[in-house]
Amino acid sequence: MSASSPWSLDRSTRALLWKWGLVLLVPVLVYTFLWQGDSVVNAAFLGLANPNNSTYAVATPGNMVQALIFSALFYLLVTALSGYLLAVDSGRHSFAPVWVDVVLYAVVPILLIALTNDLVIGIALSAVAWGAYFLVRAIARRRFNRFPPAVAPADPPAPIANAELRRRAIFGSVSFGVVLALIWIVVDIVFYVSGVFPSLLLLTILLPVRTVLLVVGSYFMGHFAARVAQNFTVEAYARRNKRREAKGLKALRPQRAQLTPNDNPLRSSGARVIFMAALLAFVLLYPALDSFLFSYGTGGRLAGYGDAGYYVILALGLNIVVGFAGLLDLGYVAFFAIGAYAWAIVGSSQFGQLFNIFLSNSVASGLFWPMLLGAALLAAFFGVVLGLPTLRLRGDYLAIVTLGFGEIVPIVALNLRQITNGANGLVGVHSPGFFGLAWNVTTPVPYYYLILALIGFTIFAAIRLRDSRLGRAWVAIREDEIAAASSGINLRNTKLLAFGAGAFFSGFAGAYHGAKLGVISPDVFSYGDSIIFLAMVVIGGLGSIPGVIVGALAVYSLYVLILGQLDTMAAVPHTFMYNFHTTIIHIIPGFTFGNIRNLTFGVLLILIMIFRPEGLIPSARRKRELHENLDEQEPDVLGSLDVTFADPAFEAEVRVE
Amino acid sequence: MSTSEIKSPVSEAASVETPLLELRDVTKRFGGLAAVQDVSLRIMPGEIISIIGPNGAGKTTVFNLITGIYRVTTGEILLGGQTLAGLSPDRIVRRGITRTFQNIRLFNNMTVLENVLVGYHTRLRATVLGALFRPPHVRREEEEAREKALKLLGFFGPELVARQDEYVLNLSYAEKRRVEIARALAAQPKLLLLDEPTAGMNEAETLDAVKYVRRLRDELGVTILLIEHKLAVTMGISDRIAVLDYGKKIAEDLPEVIRRDERVIAAYLGRPTSVDEEQVSAE
Repeated sequence: MSASSPWSLDRSTRALLWKWGLVLLVPVLVYTFLWQGDSVVNAAFLGLANPNNSTYAVATPGNMVQALIFSALFYLLVTALSGYLLAVDSGRHSFAPVWVDVVLYAVVPILLIALTNDLVIGIALSAVAWGAYFLVRAIARRRFNRFPPAVAPADPPAPIANAELRRRAIFGSVSFGVVLALIWIVVDIVFYVSGVFPSLLLLTILLPVRTVLLVVGSYFMGHFAARVAQNFTVEAYARRNKRREAKGLKALRPQRAQLTPNDNPLRSSGARVIFMAALLAFVLLYPALDSFLFSYGTGGRLAGYGDAGYYVILALGLNIVVGFAGLLDLGYVAFFAIGAYAWAIVGSSQFGQLFNIFLSNSVASGLFWPMLLGAALLAAFFGVVLGLPTLRLRGDYLAIVTLGFGEIVPIVALNLRQITNGANGLVGVHSPGFFGLAWNVTTPVPYYYLILALIGFTIFAAIRLRDSRLGRAWVAIREDEIAAASSGINLRNTKLLAFGAGAFFSGFAGAYHGAKLGVISPDVFSYGDSIIFLAMVVIGGLGSIPGVIVGALAVYSLYVLILGQLDTMAAVPHTFMYNFHTTIIHIIPGFTFGNIRNLTFGVLLILIMIFRPEGLIPSARRKRELHENLDEQEPDVLGSLDVTFADPAFEAEVRVE
Repeated sequence: MSTSEIKSPVSEAASVETPLLELRDVTKRFGGLAAVQDVSLRIMPGEIISIIGPNGAGKTTVFNLITGIYRVTTGEILLGGQTLAGLSPDRIVRRGITRTFQNIRLFNNMTVLENVLVGYHTRLRATVLGALFRPPHVRREEEEAREKALKLLGFFGPELVARQDEYVLNLSYAEKRRVEIARALAAQPKLLLLDEPTAGMNEAETLDAVKYVRRLRDELGVTILLIEHKLAVTMGISDRIAVLDYGKKIAEDLPEVIRRDERVIAAYLGRPTSVDEEQVSAE
């Protein structure tokens, strides 16, 4: 590297390059060579090059193209991230916390997914690993009585010129691209020489193409990274504000934490843009990628992710009620059941028997789309109706009444035989149809995209509601009902709205579940489910949308996939679980893992609540509540789960009407 | 900083003849105990009225009755000639009465700005669909609310504007009081009820509080009813003072008259009977 212009670098920039280059290279290399990164590219390329070779029959040509597109996007986005980080890092923070972040949130999940060969189980185990890390850290902090210094120094970071920003971004991207390309070439040659490599084709065509793409692409990604970084400078805000002023809008205020240069660039807004782009590319192209990442069993896995997906929707919906508005709801399964029955009645032969209108299969399947909204609205309606009697209650009392609803709705479904067909349930519930195409169990891909779209809408709605007048009112009620009422918030309407909004999303989940399962009966919905939903919200982090999503995935796979299937695993001879099980049976005759499923799950919950009470990914608010006011003299109201009661006479007099 | 935009237009339009707030023989009983008994009070637009009295005299109960947190047992409360009977606290806010609390009730885990924005709740119109799809008018009203909220915080000086994104938990006691008043002002009230606005403040902060209470009336045109323990404060800022003792109004007059009123002095310094009772109960 010569000292002449664009590449002449001062010492600090070179230090940053080392820092971020190493930090990003480790997870990328782990993904590429320890897991399936290079196999995805190679297999997809070879499959396209030899369309008649049965070795590559696991994937269709379409999937191969998608896999290649994903790989290109992924690696280019990583180079962009490298450029971005180099451009915006203020360089004031040391390696250690960044390493912990990257190892904890990138390397560990990739390794666990690769080891367990399942995406959701890998994420769940990662969540357990995170929990263990938090536990160790909490103990260490208590033992050594040491707290890390505050993150943000008082003085704002020195501004950086746009040209310098761009130069650093491009430099960071291209260097990372070049290093990655070189390492990949070396590994490929080693593989080829050692004979692991299947084809000379790869070496002669793929390798040069890949190298050129990485190097040239990384240059353009450097420009992209500079663009992203420049969006978060003081000048960019000034420019944007000028435009807003012309439109008569109020000026935006940049948060110091968002500005370039940034003290914690991995968590800055710009890095989030790149993370989100990569995540979006992954979830959208996942059905095509699956067969490359995990070889066989794509259909079953995708179907399983659909189930995990409706748990995510339920957790996000419940989060509105419990996390935002602080209303402890132990009967959320009721609205899930109502949503499921709404579609099951319309989408099965029951509809014809009830109303004497007989629809052709394709029409009935097409009805799914309007009924998706219908089921959600019906669930929301019942959310409001069941919310009405609870308005004067709070805390424990509210929880007990909602608990009742969770019991009542399945019992009503059991006994309302004319409509719900009683204990036999409704069978032959139609799958959704699309332009005359009916879906069925053997086609999990449409379901995958359906649940993805529903989750996307739910996340969008939850964020919009949270950041609105209504979201503020919910949090205000959670914090202090009397102050909220005295600020002009109508307690009745606002609480009912929370119940309704929460129930609305469970209607989506219910309709989806009914359509996918094809059978709905009262025993599908039990009180235990409500508790599982609540556990998802609390473990993920009350009120935190990303937290609740991770919580839902983690709890779903821990409880349903892992703990629920230990017995099945133990039935396979000569495995670790088999030997473990036989050893225990010698000591405790008749032992099964099913017996201790709830016990194990309960112990896990207790451990998380002791050492990470704010959840895995807490909302900023809740983290403060539980940690930063420990030395304040008066305890603060902790929301629905820990209501402090003021003077009873005073509270009793607060009227809702 | 110009504060003319946040001036409440209603208070100017109100007639001088009808009182802004009128309490007619208001009584509140908790079981057998009459916390407030036959209290009558008239507050004209633009006045600053203080309620004083010993601990347990029923001052805060009067506030809770006016703001709808308690229901009146007998009697009537009228705002601008219209009864407030049966209205919920939020309805009363919409009618134009807001308040602060004796033991500050801010939303501790919301930021300074968010707290004031909650105060704007009644002035914003976004529905669920509006919040979801954020059409231009919702966007505009949100931004306007933010702008006005900052202006309100600016009324108390530049410090709170600078700390707008901090959680109120981290503010000093005096700053919390100011945020609470800003939140109450956000709903653009005609009448502002301040429950001990200088409680827990040192001398300098008290002096500052007295100044801004007066400015609230003079610059924003808000009528103010306050409860205050520090006699020096009440004497300094009130147009009239009402004195409560054992739930009854024992006097109401100009500050200089109240200062010399024997019943008031007795209520504050204690009467032999009540002292005896305390001693008996202590034993």
